Amino acid sequence: MSQTAVIHEQMAVPQPKQHGKPGGFLAHTNIFTGLIGGVVAAGVTYFIGDKLVPWGTQNADFSQVGLNALVFCTFVAWVIGFMAGIGAFAGPIRWALGHDLTHDDAEYMAGKGQGRMKYWKYTTDHKVVGIQYLVMALVLFGFGGFFAMLIRTELGATWREVFDPNFYNSLIGTHGIVMIIAMIIVVAGPLGNFIMPLMIGARDMAFPRLNALSFWLLFAAVPPLVLNLVMGGIRDGWTVYQPLGTQAPIGMIGYQVCIITFAFSTGIAGVNLITTIVTMRARGMTWARTPIFIIGTLAAAIMGLVWFPMFQYAQLLAASDKVIGTSFYIPQSGGSVWLYENLFWLLGHPEVYVIVVPATAGILELMVVFLRKPLFSYKMAVAGFAGVVGISAVVWVHHMYMTGFAPQAGYPFMLSTELISIPFGFLVLVMLGTLWRGKAWNRLPMMAVYAVIFDKIIGGITGVYLSDVPVDQYMHGSMFVVAHFHYMLMGAGLFAAMGVIVYWFPKMTGRMFDERIGKIGFWTAFLAFQVTFLSMFVAGLQGMPRRVLQFDNAFDISNWISTIGAYCIGIGMLIFLYAVITSWRNGKVAPSNPWGAKTLEWQTETPVPLENFPVLPVVTSDPYGYGIPDPYLKVEEELDQDDNETVGAR
Amino acid sequence: MSIETPVDQPESPTNRPESTHRMKEWFSRDYVRKIIAIFIVLTIIIIPIAWLVIHFLELSGGPASSIMEELETTIFVFTLVSAPLMAITAAVLIYSLFGWGSIKSEDPPMQENPAIRTNAVAVIGWTAATSLLAAFLVIWGLVELATITADSYGSTPSSQQPNATKQIDVNVTGQQWVWSFEYPDQQKIQSDVLVVPINTPIYFNVTSKDVVHSFWVVEMGVKIDANPGAVTNTGFTANKLGTFNIRCAELCGLHHAYMETNVQVVTQDQFDSWVREQGGKRTA
Ligand code: HEM
Ligand SMILES: [Cu+2]
Ligand SMILES: [Cu+2]
Repeated sequence: MSQTAVIHEQMAVPQPKQHGKPGGFLAHTNIFTGLIGGVVAAGVTYFIGDKLVPWGTQNADFSQVGLNALVFCTFVAWVIGFMAGIGAFAGPIRWALGHDLTHDDAEYMAGKGQGRMKYWKYTTDHKVVGIQYLVMALVLFGFGGFFAMLIRTELGATWREVFDPNFYNSLIGTHGIVMIIAMIIVVAGPLGNFIMPLMIGARDMAFPRLNALSFWLLFAAVPPLVLNLVMGGIRDGWTVYQPLGTQAPIGMIGYQVCIITFAFSTGIAGVNLITTIVTMRARGMTWARTPIFIIGTLAAAIMGLVWFPMFQYAQLLAASDKVIGTSFYIPQSGGSVWLYENLFWLLGHPEVYVIVVPATAGILELMVVFLRKPLFSYKMAVAGFAGVVGISAVVWVHHMYMTGFAPQAGYPFMLSTELISIPFGFLVLVMLGTLWRGKAWNRLPMMAVYAVIFDKIIGGITGVYLSDVPVDQYMHGSMFVVAHFHYMLMGAGLFAAMGVIVYWFPKMTGRMFDERIGKIGFWTAFLAFQVTFLSMFVAGLQGMPRRVLQFDNAFDISNWISTIGAYCIGIGMLIFLYAVITSWRNGKVAPSNPWGAKTLEWQTETPVPLENFPVLPVVTSDPYGYGIPDPYLKVEEELDQDDNETVGAR
Repeated sequence: MSIETPVDQPESPTNRPESTHRMKEWFSRDYVRKIIAIFIVLTIIIIPIAWLVIHFLELSGGPASSIMEELETTIFVFTLVSAPLMAITAAVLIYSLFGWGSIKSEDPPMQENPAIRTNAVAVIGWTAATSLLAAFLVIWGLVELATITADSYGSTPSSQQPNATKQIDVNVTGQQWVWSFEYPDQQKIQSDVLVVPINTPIYFNVTSKDVVHSFWVVEMGVKIDANPGAVTNTGFTANKLGTFNIRCAELCGLHHAYMETNVQVVTQDQFDSWVREQGGKRTA
């Protein structure tokens, strides 16, 4: 083993001493040792807590608190045990022992020479992490979608209760939060990790080990959440308003531990994405030459980093109320339910944009390629994202118009909320302008663009209704709201995510996506989506509250239609999933640049080598130099000068 | 690279024509005319949705108060205002698919689309139009909010002082999973349906005994959360006789779905005799 490594082909750097085989401790850890570690740690904690600590001796109330504390500690032990078992602490421990990582260690950790096993390990390579995120998101969508089918089954069976009301309430809550998590990670996870570094011409993320950490924290966060269903459930919707949450069974602790852990994961991922984008763009990639998808990812990462701690603390305090009997949210002892609601929505609103912004940015990126036409007004797109990031910080109270916590607050927050429609409008103009006079290549990702713009308009317009306080006085807490946010999250978010994943599928998997089958699934889901949620608007207008399992007969018809629609969405999604799986396993092998795109990720070979690029690329223009220059339009100097050469040797 | 001049742009950049001429030329282009035509047709198709929306809102018998009436006007106006927005977007989408031919383009377009990087007129015009629209919505909303606040509280929003003379106070309590109503000035009558006289301002003090509920009087267009440990207020003046719905609009546990009751709007005489009857029961 050599004691030196060649870096950048020019300079030899003295290396730390190699201790043992490359990888050291990490050579022995993987997801299974993680699971063992987590289960053992949880079991031991539960056993010790149950047998040795005298819970419940002080007073009658304390026994419940004691059980909560025990469950809380057990879940926390699971998370720590899992992380220990998979080797997350190896880095700090090596550092404490003075065993610095060598070049060979780092390469081992990036997955060199491990074949498929690397996907099951604490691997630092951004491409591996991207794939891990993608699979995780698909699994979560599977769960969430299954729960959605159960919810719709109950709502469609208007004549009887199919489920126990408590179980039904848990279904709603679990569906909601699982889908929210899945949507948060589905673009920023796979594409932010796999594609983004390639697109900016970097060799990896800025902090490869934090990258692995953020993924595996997410992984560890999910079992406590899903287990809630056998522990009494989250009966409180995904918002878990207090003090209802304090009454909830121990399943609630799973939710809280999940959110607290997941917030660490998003924070770490956010720091990593921001640092990478700001500092590691290829030589010559000035901000004005940075692809719009990168800007969107940056915007989402900033919002996540800033606002997720609010959600984390909301749940930390809630857990504390439950576990050690504090009274942050218990009015009888001086707490405030409004404190919870404010903390919750401080994240709750920006999070919608954390979901929608990267998906939209991905759509913009691929439109350009399929139209072979520059992005219309790049600056306006950037301004749109910036405006959304800025204003989204000061609109959260629109979710609390009807709480009565400050009747006067309606005025300023109605103003700020409606102002968001201006930057939002910028993005619509960018999309329409890019389509203008262009003949697009009819492929699935491009067709998703049309679907997404359509949904976005409906979601946006109904959002304007809801931002109006008087109208919200009727709509708040009704099915109208549910239909509206599904248009934004699913119509504009998930369908966009499907489009962008199909677009980058060849680069990520090395296979072409089977569009023939995928298309059938996509359009079935899209049309069924319209049926389901348009008729849900009707139920809302008629006055049907959300989160109910039985209701006035007046709402029967629209609920039947919605349920039939929902089953068809389910079928469509299954077909799409089938296309994903079969193409991934034995699709046509993809060339390195099947779409003929100009961004950097397509300029390297497929499958992408460990170091991404043989030589780091140099950028001389933005990647949008397509089409016939229009003699009428003043084209900026810098954009004009090049001959569309984006990759060159240094 | 050789620059082919697009067919619909006969002039070269050096002898750029005047702006009025350019505008005329733009409007005379085939695709512009077609898009405008599609836009107009779509707007005409979309506008009736405004009536449809009102129809659905009124299915259960409302509006039964001036608040609900104002709110329906708002929804109606917002729908009308958004119709052109919806239509122009859809028109471009449709023309892009069928006019510019994306739907049947099997191969990637090579260098055949115009490289439109930006367009000052479009950017400024669009920004101005959406800003004006947003300003309109904001101003409409602010004025509307002030009006319904006055209607709800029987007061100006700033003073918060009830100014109506014949106002009736009702204390509303949410509790898992029933609503109960108390009439403090009418011998403290307790009831589990809300009975109110027509054309009289009713003022509600809303609270909860356990978790957060939301007091929604559907056809009156009034909603306010019932919070433990706090009293929130709202109010309305019913202007239609009949029985209307009260629902809980905030998930409050096991039987949230069944937490509903009625509001009966009756004449003043009927109300008085109801009070006598209920009050009599109490003292007897
Ligand atoms: C197959 C597609 C889907 C169907 C049929 C569906 C259906 C539903 C239904 C019926 C509810 C309960 C409404 C209520 O009574 O309050 C609901 C809630 C919700 N859904 Fe979905 N959904 C789907 C996909 C999604 C997606 C993709 C997201 C993405 C974020 C999502 C996010 C939510 C959220 C956040 C809630 C609120 C849960 C709560 O009330 O706490 N859903 N969905
Ligand atoms: Cu919001
Ligand atoms: Cu309720």
